[in-house]
Amino acid sequence: MRPARWLALGGALLASAVVGLLLGAVPLSPIDVLEGLRAGGDPAVDAIVRDVRLPRVVLAVVVGAALGLSGAALQGALRNPLAEPYLLGVSGGAAVGAVASLALGIRHPGAVSIAAFAGAAIAVVAVLGITRSVGGRGDPRVLLMAGVVLGAFANAAILVILAEVPADTVRGALWWMMGSLSGGGWSEVRWLGVWLLIAGGWLIHSARDIDLLALGGDSAAALGIDPEAVGRRVYLLASFLAAASVAAAGLIGFAALIVPHVARGVVAGGHRPRILASGLLGASLLVLADVVARSARAPTELPLGAVTALVGVPFFFALLKRLAR
Amino acid sequence: MIRTSGVRFRTTLVTVIVAVVSIACEAKRDAADGVEHDDFDAPLPVTRAERIVSLSPATTELLYTLGVGERLVGRTTWDVFPPEVMRVPDVGDGIDPNVEAILAVRPDLVVLYASGSNRDEAAALTRAGVPVVALRTDLVAEFFRAVRILGHLTGTSEAARLIADTVATSLDSVRRRTASLERPTVFLPSWITPLLTIGAGSYLTELVAIAGARNIYDDHQAPSPQISIEDVIRRDPDYVLAAPNRAELLRTDPGWSVIRAIREGHVLVFDTTLVGRPSVRMGEAALSLARLFHPDVIR
Repeated sequence: MRPARWLALGGALLASAVVGLLLGAVPLSPIDVLEGLRAGGDPAVDAIVRDVRLPRVVLAVVVGAALGLSGAALQGALRNPLAEPYLLGVSGGAAVGAVASLALGIRHPGAVSIAAFAGAAIAVVAVLGITRSVGGRGDPRVLLMAGVVLGAFANAAILVILAEVPADTVRGALWWMMGSLSGGGWSEVRWLGVWLLIAGGWLIHSARDIDLLALGGDSAAALGIDPEAVGRRVYLLASFLAAASVAAAGLIGFAALIVPHVARGVVAGGHRPRILASGLLGASLLVLADVVARSARAPTELPLGAVTALVGVPFFFALLKRLAR
Repeated sequence: MIRTSGVRFRTTLVTVIVAVVSIACEAKRDAADGVEHDDFDAPLPVTRAERIVSLSPATTELLYTLGVGERLVGRTTWDVFPPEVMRVPDVGDGIDPNVEAILAVRPDLVVLYASGSNRDEAAALTRAGVPVVALRTDLVAEFFRAVRILGHLTGTSEAARLIADTVATSLDSVRRRTASLERPTVFLPSWITPLLTIGAGSYLTELVAIAGARNIYDDHQAPSPQISIEDVIRRDPDYVLAAPNRAELLRTDPGWSVIRAIREGHVLVFDTTLVGRPSVRMGEAALSLARLFHPDVIR
């Protein structure tokens, strides 16, 4: 383990957070921001810094860390470099939940989050159920395919629902599906933070088992672990962590896919450092992506999922090239 | 052809009279004459307009006001005012409407909302031989234009003139009453996630101005631009104006207290049925807003 690299990862996160506080829809000087943090200046500036930017940057850290941890654990446990929570149907289930609640006329953001989480949870359990019912226990490929198919089904369901609702609801639903931290505050930070500590901690704890899975099912079994049980546990933990992040911020694609690959380039060793580094990197990435979303076309906001996808797609091509070689 | 030249002859005659008498006074009385194209730039159709399908709440209400509501044979799911309209068959949505459902009620005029996504449907209806007029009613001026065009197409130009004059006069009277008053600034959130507001492209911004206040986003051209809450805090409006259910959310959700006006309880609630769309009641709507902004002066 090289401490210098961990310092660099921590430093990058800190630097991103500072940038996140300095930049936004309204141009503020660093002095304004400092005064705002201490709540000593213009009340409007105080409100912008303390009540809008600060919770938003912290929420970006938590959501990014959740996505990074979740992606790294899934890629390890399913032994597939393309595995990520969204590919596994979590996003589809969450989107059905959110869109259905919007279509029913529910306008309270908290209630929409709960519906999204419920939808994701149903999808996660359904994917596991399908995998078992077709006899694909322990085979990560079957789990992956079940997720992809369930995601496609969810998309179809969303299109059916959206065909029935008025235009402004469609706009709200699309915005939710493109991901954003604009509605987030301390309450989201709190409950997602608790989830992150529990599920993330457990995933990091499971990292050694994931290392053993990578040796192949027989070797893992010989070393005294149940590959199927480990795979299922990691899948459930990682998916529920991703589901919670979706409930807080909508669908933010590509972060969970890309971040673990970058992390592998930064820290050597097994899954424990990789998962941890993915959490730190995911947090930095999301803070910076949100800065772009907030300030690129201010005072209009760009959807965060669109920003991460714009960055993610070229990166993904580069990754494909490396994998194909 | 004869019919067209007849219209042209009348156009010329009216133009001459307008020129002779008084341009300022008579311009308003010009009916659809002078307006030759709809808001898709298509020439106005020639039709008897006995069986009308109206595909936006504003034009549907307007047709009732013009006294030709009984000629309606189709409306959208969202057109629910006046109450009599409920007996008219519902043909679905007004944005991307269902062409087959419209053709099934055999209309001789379809009034479409002139949204870009309705161009295909307008073309399809025209190909099927149904006269179509596409109208935008986002701004007060567009509403007046729609009044003239619909008056012309339904042979109720007299009523249209009277209505346009009355609405213009009532708006003028509110404008005069608020002209000398201090103008508070107002934020009008129209959707919460994403945060959408009302911009300069909406009649609501005009009504707010007539009512003696200023929409803080009157510098944004779009009818409903999406904005960041930071920017709202910076613009620091005196009031927030919202529909009843949204106002309730703004008042109770602690996240919204970052906006000073909300923190200090300056949330105004407008009457959705009155202010919710451009209509012949716009004068009354402007007056109701003026009462909210200037409760001590305007009662």
